[in-house]
Amino acid sequence: MKVKNFLKDVGGASRVTEKRLDAFENASAVLTNVDPIGNVAREWHPGRIELVVTDIRDACKTAKTIRLERKDGKKLPFFYAGQYIVLDLKIGQSLVSRPYSLSSAPCEARGEHPFAEITVRRSKGDGFVCDHINSELKVGDVITGKMGLGQFYYEPLRDCDHVVALAGGVGITPFVSMAKEINNGSLNIDLTILYGSVSADDIVLKEEMDRLEGEHVHIVHVLSGDDENWKGERGFLSAELIRKYAPSDASYFICGPQAMYTFLREELEKMDIPKRRIRFEVFGQAKDITKYEGYPAGLKDEVFTLTVRRGIHEDQIPAKANESLVTALERAAIRIDTGCRSGECGLCRTKVLSGDFYICPEGDGRREADKDFNYVHACACYPLSDMTIKIPIM
Amino acid sequence: MKFYKDHYDVIVIGGALAGLSSALMLADKGMDVLVLERHNLPGGIATSFVRGGIEIEAALHEMMSIGPKENRLKVGKFFDDMGVDIDWLPVPEAYHASLPGLEVTLHPGLERFAKEIDEQVPGTYDKVLKLLKLCDTVFNSVNELSIHPMSKPQMLLKHEAFVKTAGYSTKEVIDTFKLPQKAVDLLSPYWIYVGSGFSDLPFTIFSVLMADYVGYGSMIPKKLSHEMSLKMAERAQEMGVQIEYGQHVDKILVRNGKVYGVRTARGDVIRSDYVISSAYPNAVYSHMIEPAREVPEAATKMVNARRISLSAFSVIMILDKPAEELGIHDYSIFRGDTMDTDVLYENLAGLGPYRYLTCICHNYGNPGVTPEGTCSFSITVLPRVDGWKKVSAEDYDRVKHEVARQLIDDMSAYFGTNLLDHVLEIVIETPMTVAHYTNAWNGCIYGYAHTMEDHIIARLQTADAEKFIEGLEFAGAHAISGDGMGPQVTNGRKAAKNILDDIKAKEAVKK
Repeated sequence: MKVKNFLKDVGGASRVTEKRLDAFENASAVLTNVDPIGNVAREWHPGRIELVVTDIRDACKTAKTIRLERKDGKKLPFFYAGQYIVLDLKIGQSLVSRPYSLSSAPCEARGEHPFAEITVRRSKGDGFVCDHINSELKVGDVITGKMGLGQFYYEPLRDCDHVVALAGGVGITPFVSMAKEINNGSLNIDLTILYGSVSADDIVLKEEMDRLEGEHVHIVHVLSGDDENWKGERGFLSAELIRKYAPSDASYFICGPQAMYTFLREELEKMDIPKRRIRFEVFGQAKDITKYEGYPAGLKDEVFTLTVRRGIHEDQIPAKANESLVTALERAAIRIDTGCRSGECGLCRTKVLSGDFYICPEGDGRREADKDFNYVHACACYPLSDMTIKIPIM
Repeated sequence: MKFYKDHYDVIVIGGALAGLSSALMLADKGMDVLVLERHNLPGGIATSFVRGGIEIEAALHEMMSIGPKENRLKVGKFFDDMGVDIDWLPVPEAYHASLPGLEVTLHPGLERFAKEIDEQVPGTYDKVLKLLKLCDTVFNSVNELSIHPMSKPQMLLKHEAFVKTAGYSTKEVIDTFKLPQKAVDLLSPYWIYVGSGFSDLPFTIFSVLMADYVGYGSMIPKKLSHEMSLKMAERAQEMGVQIEYGQHVDKILVRNGKVYGVRTARGDVIRSDYVISSAYPNAVYSHMIEPAREVPEAATKMVNARRISLSAFSVIMILDKPAEELGIHDYSIFRGDTMDTDVLYENLAGLGPYRYLTCICHNYGNPGVTPEGTCSFSITVLPRVDGWKKVSAEDYDRVKHEVARQLIDDMSAYFGTNLLDHVLEIVIETPMTVAHYTNAWNGCIYGYAHTMEDHIIARLQTADAEKFIEGLEFAGAHAISGDGMGPQVTNGRKAAKNILDDIKAKEAVKK
């Protein structure tokens, strides 16, 4: 409508109202539920899904690979090679969940016989979940899990197209996933894996890796133990060793035990690599929180009372000073959503209503405003007194 | 185990800005309120996340209608009244416009803005100022009328400009000023904040947009949008509101045309007299009302008639150099290869190459928001949902990266620096990301398009007739005031007011 003297027109409001009512009147009366964008989001992130254990095999003498398929037979959700799955398990009276890097590839999750795999090492004392997976889990068991989590994956808009993987022990799993994806043609990078193990017997997924080696995937095994028959590289993943195999420009991805992170931070420092070229996988739960700076002395064996609010419901449970709030909740079979268990991802975001606590300084991923209002990531939060917290109902 | 009370006055579905504003206002009037939020924190897209130890703003986050402490505007005053104390930082400029033949930074304040346009297009000062003042007059009328509705003759007497521009599009009104094209171009960049081309955008909406942003400038919270969302949520709880995170509402329970509660995905049935839904009417009427036969035909026709508006695509980068060293200037840059909003609106229906980008370098408005030696830079396109509806789950990652690359390449060329050589962290947000985190219908963040067929004045006129289910209110970008973070507060308050008015009316009948 072209009306030059619009300032004389006082009927505009009525006109646009009629227009709108006309449009409603002429619209279809058939109910439609079309949300394709939401559907794609749900295909990528369906939340917790039911999984069946379909195969368990040795990954080496001390580790097992567990194959999981979707109970409803559908394809598994999309993910990026390097990401992890969180599995929920009932062990004794505890309801626990744990993150495991997927050692299978995204292409295998979407193939004709879709599956996902994790590779878990029997622990040396502290990982009762790893032990449970290694000795109790059986083919046919049904567990729930949530996958496609974590930031440890190749991002073409950030990373160099040659990735140098620095792996230790069972930390090889994300790189096995990447290597498979490369050989499938769905990840266009070169991957040089420098893989540290103690002895030849400890090398996880050795056969699988031998098969994966090729034009774009190079693997160098490095042993730190005194294996007499070993003809390959020896020692730790030092700056000198890395320089020998790495191209001049590369992105460094590091995954392994905590001691290796400490060592490699110093080695990479020596090499003068830009910060944007270095990516560490999350640190994992602190092995001994009492050793961290600022942790008050003499609390180690204390047990406090943790009051847990969910909605208007309240429980009281014991909480050890040297265990995280998440561990206390899991021991008491109170469910809480968790992801990285390193303080970073924030899935276990929890409100502290009262009491004192200590936050593990390694990988503290809290938002600034959350700190002001006593929100903590419960997996990295340790009680220093009786506490009251509020968590989401699960 | 009993997690909920037997009954609430009001259940609010969704703890973002609109839902929390409702909750605050209802709690202030003594109502017993339960907020159910499916994510594990408040705010919807008005939130933040942490990557590589750096907290990053999740959305375009300029808040309008706040005003300085001594002279609060509508939204700022509401926060003050509710005791929500946010640490606001003023955004330093309106925008830097990078348009064909134009590279200019414009600042808030009607006179200053007009003067800066006049410096680029001499001889336009009077006309531009007259147009901006017309916008301001209409804006003031909208604010007043939204609180104190009045009869038509009265309106004509007191709000003449509002009444007389009501029936016209932005283009029709601007055309009457006979401004040179370049001046019109410099008045246009904010169009993307309301998301319709000027030939279909009600002038009323353009007025509100320009008067508020250009007249008074905008604000950002110091500790990012999460500060605002969290402070609203914490204050609401102080006032007695129960907020439960991680609770997805599956169904709104209706009997004889009236709501009586909700059911969550966990299976909890919770009863209430009223429900405020932040879920889109499309979702509510297509699969949330139980039983489905309670959905009247008119409701279905209404959602089918309305056009779902824009979603968001953002590339957010933390770069390993200070902004100045990378040639990144200004807090916000609006860049287009044309400023014909109708052409750009068409362009937004596809998957790129996108022709109109809005960029923010957060550090210029909030120094210290990233560690020393780094900066935060985001490039955003607000596409219509149409193009993205066609992207399959299989193609999603490829399309996402192609679009992101186009945006980064365009801005790299503009700055003369390859931004890709400096990426410490990068996050790509898509309509699917919005859908994933908020469950918004088709990832739409703008609700229904502001068009001449779905005019805000018409929405106000017919609001009562669109209450298809008694006790059910809507609060979110899909409500009357439409998109924007400031308008969400208004939408939330309106839903709360409707409930309070209803209670009052029922009490009056009882007496």
